[in-house]
Amino acid sequence: MTDFAAFEPLAIDFTGAGDGRVRALALLLLTMADDEFVIGFSDSEWTGIGPILEEDVAISSLAQDELGHAQALYGLLTDTVADGRDADAWAYDRPPEGYLHARLLDHHRGDWAATIARRYLYDTADSARLEAVASSSHRPLAELVAKIRREERYHLMHVQTWIERLADAGGESRARLLAALEAMGPDAGTVLAPLPGEPSLLRHGIIAEPFATMEARWRDGVGATFRRLGLPDLPPTSDPAHARSGHSDAFRALHAELTMVRRSEVGATW
Amino acid sequence: MTESTGGAPATPGVLEPWEVFRREKDGDPMRHGGSVMAPDATLALHYAREMFSRRQESVHLWVVRRGDIHDLADLDLLQPPLDRSFKKPGGYVMRDKLAAAREQSGQAKPKANKGTR
Repeated sequence: MTDFAAFEPLAIDFTGAGDGRVRALALLLLTMADDEFVIGFSDSEWTGIGPILEEDVAISSLAQDELGHAQALYGLLTDTVADGRDADAWAYDRPPEGYLHARLLDHHRGDWAATIARRYLYDTADSARLEAVASSSHRPLAELVAKIRREERYHLMHVQTWIERLADAGGESRARLLAALEAMGPDAGTVLAPLPGEPSLLRHGIIAEPFATMEARWRDGVGATFRRLGLPDLPPTSDPAHARSGHSDAFRALHAELTMVRRSEVGATW
Repeated sequence: MTESTGGAPATPGVLEPWEVFRREKDGDPMRHGGSVMAPDATLALHYAREMFSRRQESVHLWVVRRGDIHDLADLDLLQPPLDRSFKKPGGYVMRDKLAAAREQSGQAKPKANKGTR
């Protein structure tokens, strides 16, 4: 399990955070928000270059949904940490190493098969996580997650449809999907790697079950789909202690781009 | 009479047009909204949802494969060769009769009755 110290670049002042509830909650919110933000921004790169016009609109819309979820989660984080930073500051004003998204999302969006593979692995894992916070004792989170899950249901249908088609199509489609799954497989479980504040999250009823339970449930579901489609089993998570740190060059490039406009005029009102 | 251009079998994985019908609000009929390209019904519904309902402009959606629509091939069948104007109410001029009735009942001529003849 990663120590809080690994997240120093965040510079959150948790003085007086008591038994760790606030600190653990903030870390959960930030990891969820960063996951949604990074995959949303990364998938938005398909806008204008989607495989067909209809899919271009669909993937752009899904990416926007994820950014909307990130915005709402950063909003909850803002209320929790209350250090004067607003949602935009959380989203745009951190150095690359200050982002806590899972290593799965450090992969470049790649080709269409890689985007679908990453979306599939992320959305299914995120779904297990959302289920575990659906009845959270932190009411604002439970209420937000109820709304997010309604949208994620469609996201899952969309990505399920696509992974089935790529797997069943054979030839180049299947070969590209297999290559993407091989590259990302060891990182897939990073979304559900235990967070440092897990005992506190459980004790306070912010999450309903340990991350290991979410991960087992997620692996059961993905395993059943993969067997049906004749895809190889997912490997165990590699280096789970660094599931959300030590980001890739692909993410640094993405970060440079997504902060570009914000950095161009510091403090401007858009 | 029943000759048509529809019913061509679908080829798996090949994009083809799907016609989208949508209901704008409860109680409205389904109306044609446009079309999307998709390889099958599932993706056609996904795309129809994105194109015709993401801004809450629909409460119900249908997709129909254009290839499954039977099109009346002989359009001449829609144009009667003889004068059938007696089937239409347009031949009955009501203006004078209405004016007389109004005068008799003492009612003013209603506003915005451009369509009255």
